[in-house]
Amino acid sequence: MSRRLLGLLLVLPALAVIALLFILPLIMSAVGAFQVDGAFGWGNFVKTFDLYTKDIIFTVVIVSLSTVLIGLASIAIGGYLTLGNNPVAVSILRFLYRWPMFIPFIVVGQLMRTFLAKNGMMNNAAVSLGLMTPMETMSFLDWRGIVFAFVWKQTPFVALLVAGAMASLNRDTIEAARNLGASKLRVLFEIIVPQVAVTLTVGLILSFVTMMSVLSVPLMINAQSPTMLTADIAFRVNAYGDYGVANALGLISLVLASSVAWIYLRISLKERT
Amino acid sequence: MSGDGFLQLRGVASRYGQTRVLKDIDLSIGKGEFVALLGSSGCGKTTLLRVIAGFIEPSDGQVAVNGRDITRHQPDKRGMALVFQSYALWPHMTVAQNIGYGLRLRGVARDEIARRVSEMAELLGLSGLEERKPANLSGGQRQRVALGRALAIDPEILLLDEPLSNLDARIRLSVRHELRALQKRLGITAVHVTHDREEAMVMADRIVILDGGRIAQQGSPEEVYNRPASSFVAAFMGAENLLELDGVRDGETFVLQPGSAGEGGSVPVAGRALESGAVEARFRPEAARLTDIDTPATEPGARFFGEVMAVSYPGGHWRHAVKVGDREIMADADRAFPPGQPVTVFVPAETLFLFNTPSGDPVSRPGLPSETVKIPA
Repeated sequence: MSRRLLGLLLVLPALAVIALLFILPLIMSAVGAFQVDGAFGWGNFVKTFDLYTKDIIFTVVIVSLSTVLIGLASIAIGGYLTLGNNPVAVSILRFLYRWPMFIPFIVVGQLMRTFLAKNGMMNNAAVSLGLMTPMETMSFLDWRGIVFAFVWKQTPFVALLVAGAMASLNRDTIEAARNLGASKLRVLFEIIVPQVAVTLTVGLILSFVTMMSVLSVPLMINAQSPTMLTADIAFRVNAYGDYGVANALGLISLVLASSVAWIYLRISLKERT
Repeated sequence: MSGDGFLQLRGVASRYGQTRVLKDIDLSIGKGEFVALLGSSGCGKTTLLRVIAGFIEPSDGQVAVNGRDITRHQPDKRGMALVFQSYALWPHMTVAQNIGYGLRLRGVARDEIARRVSEMAELLGLSGLEERKPANLSGGQRQRVALGRALAIDPEILLLDEPLSNLDARIRLSVRHELRALQKRLGITAVHVTHDREEAMVMADRIVILDGGRIAQQGSPEEVYNRPASSFVAAFMGAENLLELDGVRDGETFVLQPGSAGEGGSVPVAGRALESGAVEARFRPEAARLTDIDTPATEPGARFFGEVMAVSYPGGHWRHAVKVGDREIMADADRAFPPGQPVTVFVPAETLFLFNTPSGDPVSRPGLPSETVKIPA
């Protein structure tokens, strides 16, 4: 047996796993999205846009809004870790901010249910502090709940990347700006953030794609319409066995995710050259 | 020093954990003066500069500018400009944006910034590079951008943290003079940190030598060079040759006793606080005169006898390693003496630095080589 054949044979198991478990199902789903009763056509997409245009927009808005908020929160956390004057506060924050990263999405959903509900912990605390009466409480278990859960869960991940990048900056560049008269806020946004922009963007893109694929949070927090595409896909499959529309929805989320993944690829290409 | 300097440090101390980095620094710097803080690494010179800039709050003492106490002021409220050793240019900004940033912070109008930036670029020979990013500049160009960024805001005090140490040797020599000329022309008060003795000598009006967080001596370059106040300063200023001698003070004359090193000699006390007893004698290799063994002394000074161990030619003169008593010294001569030849080393009185050996701290610590003070290049 030639060496070349042996080499191929050695990578064959890995190739087979990728081909059978990843590429084939992807192609089948993509093909399935264009099949209606065994014939090719746009039927599934027509139906999808009829029923779920609102949900597509809802998903894009929710995930985009969450991404922006995650970006701001992680800049704030990284910024305080880098520029904070009080060493005790800095080390407390450093210890605390990573915890949500280790909590699964389904648990986050559960936590938010008990925290954000009409008689949840947040409202109860506000009532007992005398900030509002029980009559004024309202439930946040709608789109705001999803955004809250996403931001709470994903900020630590992005903040971890961003804080690491900030910590490895040449501190002289920060002190040079302070020395010339820049306030800490200006240093953060004019000196630090531009230098960690690539890391921040990559973190946000990875977060965006992760949030696009979360099913448990919208199912648990937002049991109403409009909802996110993941919930719709699960509903089409579980309730109707309608794989055609589910596949079409899946393809649409793939396009949304790919559009930001494209930015990621461009950045990593730029870094390599 | 008078107490009314433009930049005034009073009893400044700083500690890092349990280590005291600075102890009781009193320093008064006049307006327009160029002061060099000179010392080996770890002597506290950079810490002192950072205290002045406001990045380190002193544990004790006061920093004042123009009579105004600024000890607790944030760095951005001090109106000083610091040039960093690493230059610390902002990689995401162009040369023009780097230079103009300080003005932008001050809310200067856009075209005024542009005018000032091009003025700076012209002054520093950076014209045509304004749109480049720092990554596309040479070391010397980056250094000038860093300087331009500091000068653009027209600071009252310019702080320089070893700004020349990352330049290659030839550029460094010319930048020294450019920087000094610029400082004189603009009349800026400058504090320059360096470990390079020659750099400090060439650039500064006054040299402040730091040792272990204290000021060992301060004075004009010729003062610290020709009248070092301590054995440390003498060694730091190049008088690395060290001989231990015994001497007797006789009125205004100090008589070095003959011993294993040679026949000694007598030198004028010339205002020094010398007492009879053990002394450390320090001198520079170029101050020594190497002659054949029987050459008599023709002027006041000390004569030592030794044997040439090695000879080399660093350029301009021959440098000899000579064994005198149990120590080895370096001495220069216009001609080469072969190794093994007995020689006389004559040191004229005015270039022989004598210090009473501090009791309890003998000069020759066992196990250490004779030259325990290493001077970085």
